[in-house]
Amino acid sequence: MSSAIQNSSDQDALLRAGIDRSLRHPVMFFMTSGAAWLAVSIVLGIIASAKVHSPSFMSGCAWLDYGRVFPSHINALIYGWGFQAAFAVIIWLMARLSRKECTSAGIILTAGHIWNLGVSLGLVGILSGNGTGMPWMEFPSFVWPVFLVAYTAIVIGSFIQFRVRPEGHVYISQWYLLAAMVWFPWVFVTANTLLHCIPGHPLMAAGINAWYRSALIFLFFTPVALAAAYYLAPKVTGRPVFSYSLAKLGFWSLAIIAPWAGMQKLMGVPIPFFLPYVGAAATVLFFVPAVCAAINILRTTLSSPEVVASSPSLRFMITGIAGLVLLGLAAVWLNLPGSTLPLTQFSLSGYGFEILAIYGFFSFVMFGAVYFIVPRVTGREWLSRRLIKIHFLFSVYGIITVAAVALFGGLQQGIGQEEWQQPWQGAATRAYPYAVATTIAWCFILFSNVFFFIHLALMWLRLGRRSLHPTLLVSDAHHGPGPHGEEGDIDNAGLGHAAAH
Amino acid sequence: MSFRTFILGLSASFGAAWLAIVVVPFITMRNLEPIQLSEANDGSTGIFFPKRTGRIADGAKVYAENGCYLCHTQVVRPTYAGNDLYRADWGGLKADPDRGDTRRETNAYDFYGEKFAQVGVSRMGPDLSNLGRRVESEYASPLEASQWLLSHLYNPRLEADRWKSTCPPHRFLFEKRKIKGNPSDEAMPFGAELGEELVPCAEANALVSYLLSLKKDQVVPAVLNFAPPKAKGAR
Repeated sequence: MSSAIQNSSDQDALLRAGIDRSLRHPVMFFMTSGAAWLAVSIVLGIIASAKVHSPSFMSGCAWLDYGRVFPSHINALIYGWGFQAAFAVIIWLMARLSRKECTSAGIILTAGHIWNLGVSLGLVGILSGNGTGMPWMEFPSFVWPVFLVAYTAIVIGSFIQFRVRPEGHVYISQWYLLAAMVWFPWVFVTANTLLHCIPGHPLMAAGINAWYRSALIFLFFTPVALAAAYYLAPKVTGRPVFSYSLAKLGFWSLAIIAPWAGMQKLMGVPIPFFLPYVGAAATVLFFVPAVCAAINILRTTLSSPEVVASSPSLRFMITGIAGLVLLGLAAVWLNLPGSTLPLTQFSLSGYGFEILAIYGFFSFVMFGAVYFIVPRVTGREWLSRRLIKIHFLFSVYGIITVAAVALFGGLQQGIGQEEWQQPWQGAATRAYPYAVATTIAWCFILFSNVFFFIHLALMWLRLGRRSLHPTLLVSDAHHGPGPHGEEGDIDNAGLGHAAAH
Repeated sequence: MSFRTFILGLSASFGAAWLAIVVVPFITMRNLEPIQLSEANDGSTGIFFPKRTGRIADGAKVYAENGCYLCHTQVVRPTYAGNDLYRADWGGLKADPDRGDTRRETNAYDFYGEKFAQVGVSRMGPDLSNLGRRVESEYASPLEASQWLLSHLYNPRLEADRWKSTCPPHRFLFEKRKIKGNPSDEAMPFGAELGEELVPCAEANALVSYLLSLKKDQVVPAVLNFAPPKAKGAR
C-alpha cells in the first residue's frame, strides 16, 4: 500500500518536472523580459513624474516631452510588464493544474518575441510623436492586431490543455484563468475596433476608452492575480482553501459587477446619463469580490504563520492581497458620486488608483508567483535572501507612498479644484507635494526592481544555487552553518525527485 | 458545473454589461438626431449646427500626440458633478461684452470635427473647453491671440504671474534658422540671435489654430439649454 502511494507520488513528481521543463524557456522569457520592461517603465515613470513638479527637467528634447514620456511609461508598465507576467503565470499555472505538458513552447516563444516587438515599436511610436492620444491605447494603431495575434498564439495552448485535461477537479485558479482568457480578447477587440475602425461619436469613444482601462484592471489583471493567489496560498501552506462557497461568491460577484465599471470617469460629460452612475456603482461594489477573495486567501495562509514568515512567495502574495483590500477601499472612497467623485475625477488619484491596482496588487502577487515558479522551472534556488528582502521592502515603501497620494493627495487637489472663488493656481499648489512624493516613490520602486531583474536574469542563466533547500527569508541560525543547509548541497536527487517539490 | 455552463455564465454576465453600456450607447450616440430649431423657443427655424472654425483635425492630432490631455480636460461639468460652471471663464464668460453671461455646460455637439473627445485624464492645468474665448478676451486682443498662445507654448512661464506654472515648454514645435532674404512674418519676437529667427513649425500653427477653435459657449437651442431662466434685468 505505502509503496503504491510512494510510486504514484513519484510519478506525480516526474509529471510536474516534465511540465516545468517543457515550459522553462517560455516562462523565463516572459518573466525576464517583463522585468526588463518594468525597469524601463519605472525609469520613464521617474522622468515623467519629475516633470510634473519640475517642468524644465530634461525638456530640451521632443522625445522626452512629458506628454510622450508619461504614456510610454504607463503603456510599458501594462503591455511590457503586466501582460508578460500574466502570460508566464497563465501558461505555467494552467499546465500544472491541468496536468499537461506544454507542446507548443516554440510557438509561445515566437509569439512572445512578436509581442515584445509590438511593445518596442509602440513605444518608439509614442516617443516619436505618433501616439493616438487615447489613454492606455496610445500605441499607434498598427500595434493592436499584432497584440491580438500574439495573445491568441500564447494562450490558445492553455485553453486546449484545460479541455483535454484528465477528468478531475476544476481548481478555483482555473476559473479565474479561464475568465481572464475569455474576457480580455473580448474587451480588447471591442475597444480597438470601436475606437480605431468604426467612426462613432467622439464622446462615446472617450467613454469606451474609460471602460477599457477599467476592464483591463478588473477583468484581466485582477483575475490573473487572484488565480495565482488561490494557487500559492494552499500550495505553500499545505492547507485547503478556507471556504469554497466564499470563493464562488467572490468569483461570480466579480463576473457580474466588474464589466459595468469604468465610465464614472466621465461623470458630467454629455453621454447617456446612466453610464457614469452605473460605472460608479460598479466600481464601489468591486469591494465585494475584492474582500471575498482577500478573506478567503488570508484565512488560508494565516493559519500557518511560520510559513508566511519564511516564504518569499507568500510574503509578496499576502502583501499583494493587502493591496487588493486597499484597492477595494479606494474604489469606494474615491468614487462616491456627489461627494468624493467630483473631487477625484480629474486628480492625481486616478493615476494613484491605477498604480495601486497594477503594482500594489497585481505585481506583488506576480512577484510572489515568480519567486515560486522560477526555482521549479530552472531547477535552481534563488541566490540570495538579501536581494529578495531589498526587492520586497523598497517596493512596499514605494507603493505605500503611491497609495497615500491616491487616497489623500487626489482629494486635496480636488478640494482645491472645486474652490471656484480661488484662483486656479491653488489646486496646483495643493497637488505639488504629492507630485514630489510620487517621484520619490518611483525611485524606491526602481531601486527594488533593478535588483529583482538582475536576480531573475541570473536565474534564467541557471546560475542559481544548486540546492535542495529553498531560499527562505528567515535565517535558521541555531541549527547548522547556514540557512540553506550545508553549502554545496547539490541537487543530486534531480528535478524529478519528489523531495524537490 | 459543466464547462459549457461556466462559459455561458461568463459570457452572459459580461455580455449583458457589454451590450448595455458599450454597444447600444455606441450605436445610439453614433446616430444622434439633428436638433430642430423652433421659432417659438429659439427665434429661428432650421437645424442646429455647431459652429467651429480652425484646423481642427490637424490640431487635435498634435494635441493628442503630445499628451496635452494628460493635464488638461475639455469638459465643463454640470453643477451636479462639480463646480466648473461657477468659475468666471471656464464655461464661457461671466461678463461677455455682447452677450452677458455666456457660461454653459459642455454638450454632445461641442466636439464637432474630432474623432476622439479629449475629455482628459487630470487637471494639473486648467480646463481648455473655452481656451480660445479666454485667450481672445482676457489674455490678448483677438489679433494677438495666436501670438500669445505660441509664446505660451514656447515658454509657459514667460509671464511674471505664471512663474509657478508646471506646463512643460514645447520648444521642439519651433525652429531656429538663419534669416535668408526677408525675415519671416511668423517669426517670434524673442529667442533668436542676430541674423537668426525663431519660427513656429507647421505643427505649432495647427495646434494654435485648434486651441483657438475651443469656444464652447455658442448659443444652444432651447432643448439643450439647461441654465435656469434668468430674472428680468438680472445679469
